[in-house]
This record gives sequence, C-alpha cells and structure tokens, in this order.
Amino acid sequence: MADLKKQIIEQLNLQEVTPESIGNDEPLFKEGLGLDSIDALELIVLLQQHYNIRIANPEQGPEIFYSIRSMAEFIVAQQTAKA
Amino acid sequence: MLTIYINGTGCISAQETATGGPLLANLREYDQVKLATVDPDYKQWIDVKQIRRMSRVVKMGVGAANLSLQAAGITMPGAIITGTAYGCLDDTGVFLTKMVNQQEEMLTPTAFIQSTHNTVGGQIALLLGCNGYNNTFVHRGFSFENSLLDATMMLREGSAQHILAGGLDELTQHSYQILSRFGLYKKEPVKTLELLKSPTRGTIAGEGAAFFTLGTTPGENTVAALTGISTLYKPMWEGEVIGHIMKFLEDNACTPNDIDLLVTGRNGDIDQDDIYEEVVEALFPEHPEASFKHLCGEYPTAAGFGMWLANGILADQAVPDAAMFYGKAPRNIKKILLYNHHQGTHHSLILLSHVE
Repeated sequence: MADLKKQIIEQLNLQEVTPESIGNDEPLFKEGLGLDSIDALELIVLLQQHYNIRIANPEQGPEIFYSIRSMAEFIVAQQTAKA
Repeated sequence: MLTIYINGTGCISAQETATGGPLLANLREYDQVKLATVDPDYKQWIDVKQIRRMSRVVKMGVGAANLSLQAAGITMPGAIITGTAYGCLDDTGVFLTKMVNQQEEMLTPTAFIQSTHNTVGGQIALLLGCNGYNNTFVHRGFSFENSLLDATMMLREGSAQHILAGGLDELTQHSYQILSRFGLYKKEPVKTLELLKSPTRGTIAGEGAAFFTLGTTPGENTVAALTGISTLYKPMWEGEVIGHIMKFLEDNACTPNDIDLLVTGRNGDIDQDDIYEEVVEALFPEHPEASFKHLCGEYPTAAGFGMWLANGILADQAVPDAAMFYGKAPRNIKKILLYNHHQGTHHSLILLSHVE
C-alpha cells in the first residue's frame, strides 16, 4: 500500500501530502484527500499503466476507489485472478 | 467619449513586480538568454488542492489577476478578457509528449484540460466565481492589445463597470528550442542591462503576465487612464508606421510635443530595433525614451509589462534608471506613448494619461 500511495501522490501531483499522511482506510474522495472526478480518471489510468488493470464495470468505481485499502484489495484480486 | 481608467495593475515577470513598493526597487540583472518569472507564493491566492493541476502560466495569470483586483479594491469584475499568443504551452507539451510516447493510449485528462488557451481566463473566473463575459484573444503579437481593445469597447458601451484584462505567455524548454531555431534569440549570454546596446541579431527570451482592472470611474489608487490603443499589422515600410503614429496621436487630440515620455519595445536585436530608430528620428528626436524588454525579455504579450511599467512611471512620476534609454525624464509626466512591435509584424500603440 506504501507503493500505491507514492504512485497516487505522483500521478495526481498532490502537494504537501506524504504517503504517511494518507490513512489506509481514509476516503479518497470528498472528505479525506478531497479528490474529484478528474482524479478518478487519473486513477483509472494509473491502474492501467502500473498494474495493467482495466475497470470493466464503471459502476464499481466508487467501491474500488473508496480508500487506499479498497484499491489495494482490488489490485491484488485482479492480479490473483490473472495468475 | 468615456474615459477608461486603470484602477489596478498586477504583474508577474522576470523582475520582482509582485511585491509592491517603489518601481523596480530590487532590480534583477541577468547574464543569460532566457528570463524566467520571479514567482510569488501562489498559495496566497490558490488553494493547495487546486494549485497541483496548474502549470506556471496558469499560476502567473491567476497571481497577476489577483494583484490587479486587489490594487483596484475590486472583488468581482464584470468581465475577464485575456490575451495569450502561446497559451498553456507546457501542458500542451506534456499532453503531446504522452500521446507520442504512449502511442495515443492511456492519456490522462489533466494536461489536456489545462492545455487550452482559455485555461487561464477560465481558472481566474472559477476562482472568483465570476459568471460574466469571459474571452481569450489568441492573436499572436496583438493578443494583449486586443484584450484591451475589447475591454475598452465593452466599457464604453456600458456592458460592464469593471473589467479585468491582461496578457500572458510562458516560455518552456520546447518553445525556447523551437524559437531559437528561427533565430529569435541571441546565441551567447548577454547582460540584460547591456542588451539594448548589443550589436548582434536576436534578443533574450522572456515570459510574464500583466493584468489591468479597467473601469469608467477612477478608484482611490488610480493614476492613469488608457487614452488610446491601436494596432498596425505588417506595415510595408517605416513611413507607414510613422504615418500611423501621427494619425493615432491626432485621433487622441495629441501631437508628438504632448508626449512627455516615449516607452519603446526595443529588444537588442539590431534588425528589429531599426524601426524604433526611424520613428524616434522622425517624430520624437529630443524626447526622453524608456524601454522595457531588457527587463522582462521578449514574448508576444510583453507590451503588458510595458503598460504595467508605464502605469508605474505615472504613479511615481519618475522613471527607474534601469528603464531609461535616452535623455532625462521630465519632472511632470502627463502622457506616455508606448510603442511596441513583435517580430516586425505586429506594431502597437498604447497611450496613457496621468490622472491627478
């Protein structure tokens, strides 16, 4: 999850945010990090670029991108399914 | 005809123009061919969550716009009019580079969204919550001048009471390389205060943003009125420029003798400065002359810096030594004529009058 946090900070150019300051279960959107819809698109690209994962069902988005933990669990599940 | 007052100015440039105080009090001297802006702390105007998506040109535009509005004591202009020749070049470069490197796959939205020419005007409006007229002129060397022209016409027809108008352009690694190939810039570093005496071709590259809050009534801090503005595209010869200036002065009920100070856009390129010599010799042979491009560098909307400087000169009633090119400034400066050209094709005249 530490790597994922670093990737998110870099992809979204989050300023004054460190990996340590992002809670694993903290909401990424609205409260918490306060990300918005443009960031959601950036996160979709991040999953494709770094993990070769495409989100087949857009309705899953809010669930996948709820927190760092939910994103990490989704990535692990996808990688396990591919293996 | 209604008088157009300059009620507030804001400038971000290669000089410390964002800090206030006496004009060019902390002069920055350079010995290079590329001048970058001296950036203030943009977080004073832009939330940290929003600033992360903004490239330098957007930040400098938002900064200059805020400085101008603060100086005018205005929180909400009726319209925002921006002029930029190159637009958001850096983000355009980022987006196009990704398109090539990633073979048009997996492109991220931020650089694309921020790459349009009207991004700056749009961001200023979003941050202010301004729903008024918002337009961006992308007219190469006339971009800034046409934003002023649009603003003056709107004010005179009563469409708005206060208009924020300005010009800006950024210099990027890509643009510097491409424009260098066209021979625009000097091949060797040059001391900026010696630029205007340079015997070689080319000039120094620059960037910056200048915004002006214009209105039909003066504010508490108003020192100048925008009396006239005119542009001339691709004159056939210097006589056409001289004739255009004569006509411009006549249209504004002036003669060359009424001009207390000439401010020119000399840039140290022997080929491009010829026309200034011709104009001075024909119309202003004994006039004191100030210049500005050795302070801010050359860019298509550099006249914005020139107008900011002229407004400051009227406020201080003095010309900073570093800006003086010829003669001695008079004690009483009532009218300043700014004559600038970009690349010999885009010639512009801006006439400012002192407001007591």
